[in-house]
Amino acid sequence: MAIERAPAEPGFELQPNGDAAVDIRFFAEPSAALSETIISLAESINANTITGVTELVPAYQCLTVCYNPLQLTCASDGTPGVSKLRRVLAAITEKALAQNTPSQRERYLIRIPVCYHDDFALDMRALCAHTGLTPKEVISRHTAPSYLVHMLGFTPGFLYLGGLDQGLYCPRKARPALRVPAGSVGIGGSQTGIYPQATPGGWQVIGRTPLALFRPQQEPAYIAHPLDQVQFFAISKNDFSGIDPFSAPEQISLRQASSEAKKP
Amino acid sequence: MTLRILKPGLQTTIQDTGRPGNLYWGLSSGGAADTFAMALGNRLLGNPDGHPCLEVTLTGPEIEFGEDLSVAITGAHFALFHNDRAIANDEVIQMYRGDTLRFGALRSGARAYIALAGEIDITATLGSRSTHVVAGIGGMQGRPLQAGDQIPLRSCRSAPPRRLPPQYRLDYRARPLLRVVPGLEQHYFSTTAHEQFYGGGFTVSPQSNRMGIRLAGESLPVENIPQQISSALCPGTVQVPPNGQPIISFVEGQTIGGYPRIAHVISADLHRLGQLAPGSRLDFESVDIDTAHRILRDKSRLLTELSEFTDEVE
Repeated sequence: MAIERAPAEPGFELQPNGDAAVDIRFFAEPSAALSETIISLAESINANTITGVTELVPAYQCLTVCYNPLQLTCASDGTPGVSKLRRVLAAITEKALAQNTPSQRERYLIRIPVCYHDDFALDMRALCAHTGLTPKEVISRHTAPSYLVHMLGFTPGFLYLGGLDQGLYCPRKARPALRVPAGSVGIGGSQTGIYPQATPGGWQVIGRTPLALFRPQQEPAYIAHPLDQVQFFAISKNDFSGIDPFSAPEQISLRQASSEAKKP
Repeated sequence: MTLRILKPGLQTTIQDTGRPGNLYWGLSSGGAADTFAMALGNRLLGNPDGHPCLEVTLTGPEIEFGEDLSVAITGAHFALFHNDRAIANDEVIQMYRGDTLRFGALRSGARAYIALAGEIDITATLGSRSTHVVAGIGGMQGRPLQAGDQIPLRSCRSAPPRRLPPQYRLDYRARPLLRVVPGLEQHYFSTTAHEQFYGGGFTVSPQSNRMGIRLAGESLPVENIPQQISSALCPGTVQVPPNGQPIISFVEGQTIGGYPRIAHVISADLHRLGQLAPGSRLDFESVDIDTAHRILRDKSRLLTELSEFTDEVE
């Protein structure tokens, strides 16, 4: 579809995602910096309260802006349509890129307990066979990084995490398991994550967290926001059974992104 | 003061307009699969369009009423019985305490709505009473109804006898035609794939549910399509996974996806996905976005005009 403007650094285009959403798609590769840009842009769009905009969905390279077609305002020629919304979004995006303001939300390192015991690590053997590592090495490499939360999605509370140790990359199962227990921690390709609900799944499961990722009775109902960081720490089976699924995970405030990135 | 579920049917759930506004957190909006049929039932009873009701899927329930109240059944056509007396869709029915409502054979469509002239007295979760089966929230303990469930009601009332005007009585026997706009990755698909997709060769798979409508037919060629980096997946999006069998994302669909998208069902036709019965053969027709929006405005106007019709008692 039509490109709204000539690509400049980092460059973006607007594309229709069906008849009720517009994708603001960036040309850069997924990175922590691009996710910062996307979440910051989402904050700008929210601050502008644009008529008809109903939802924002961040992803690795893209911010999807959902709208209600019945609430679109008319263009200058009087016909209702999406062209005015596209112009407004393009202008906000250009301004956000030019100002390069980091996201205004305070962010946290969230520490998530994981039990890597054999009873929960259903595919540890397969992962070790593929990577040539021992279970101990797998646990050590999996608990070392602070993973960036790029976005939430797929199912309620699922965290898309960036930063997996390359030594742990492992293909998904050829035949997905019919039911992966809720809380299962897995590796699929270059990604690692936690299954919030018991669902079918193709990731290699190496442990389980006792914590619930989706807490509909709590406010907020989710344990992490985009741009937060997540670190896993190993617990015993005994520790596992002693943790209340709905207890708050340990949160450590991270310093706001450097204000040097701000320009007047 | 309850509805007692004697037989639950295949998947009977409490529904309303769902939980829009939570895609940022990975929670799809859920809500009624056919919002248009739900709105018609609610309008018959003088309720707001999204008033909580029961959604019935393929095999209907048997329900005992513990209270006098009016109901209206819209959407899919089932054989319907009020205390063993056959009754009709699309009109106000007065139930009395001790009465039973029983669903028989499905004649056309896939989902019926039991609109209630009363309130389902359960706590809202994240702003809605609707059952989100995937997330396990809303309704009765976040699950479809089971035999023995007692759904608490309050503010039950009787509504004046009304019937939908003939032009609003939806018929689901015709072969479904869904209007679509071009998909984000449609340019990756070959001419052959497009001809096959728009050629009417797909049927609705029995594996379809509120997450997605799975289509079955001759596989679309997808060999040379590059892997996509995951991004937002909206309801109505037609994705084509590596097996070449398209999946239409639906009300409880995953919010982020990575398969190439050949088309997106237009907003005005999303509610029709709720009436696709397994085995139905489907046609797709491509329209542009302005046309899609015009069709949506026309459909929205249909509902507004209905308020005037139903003010006349037939």
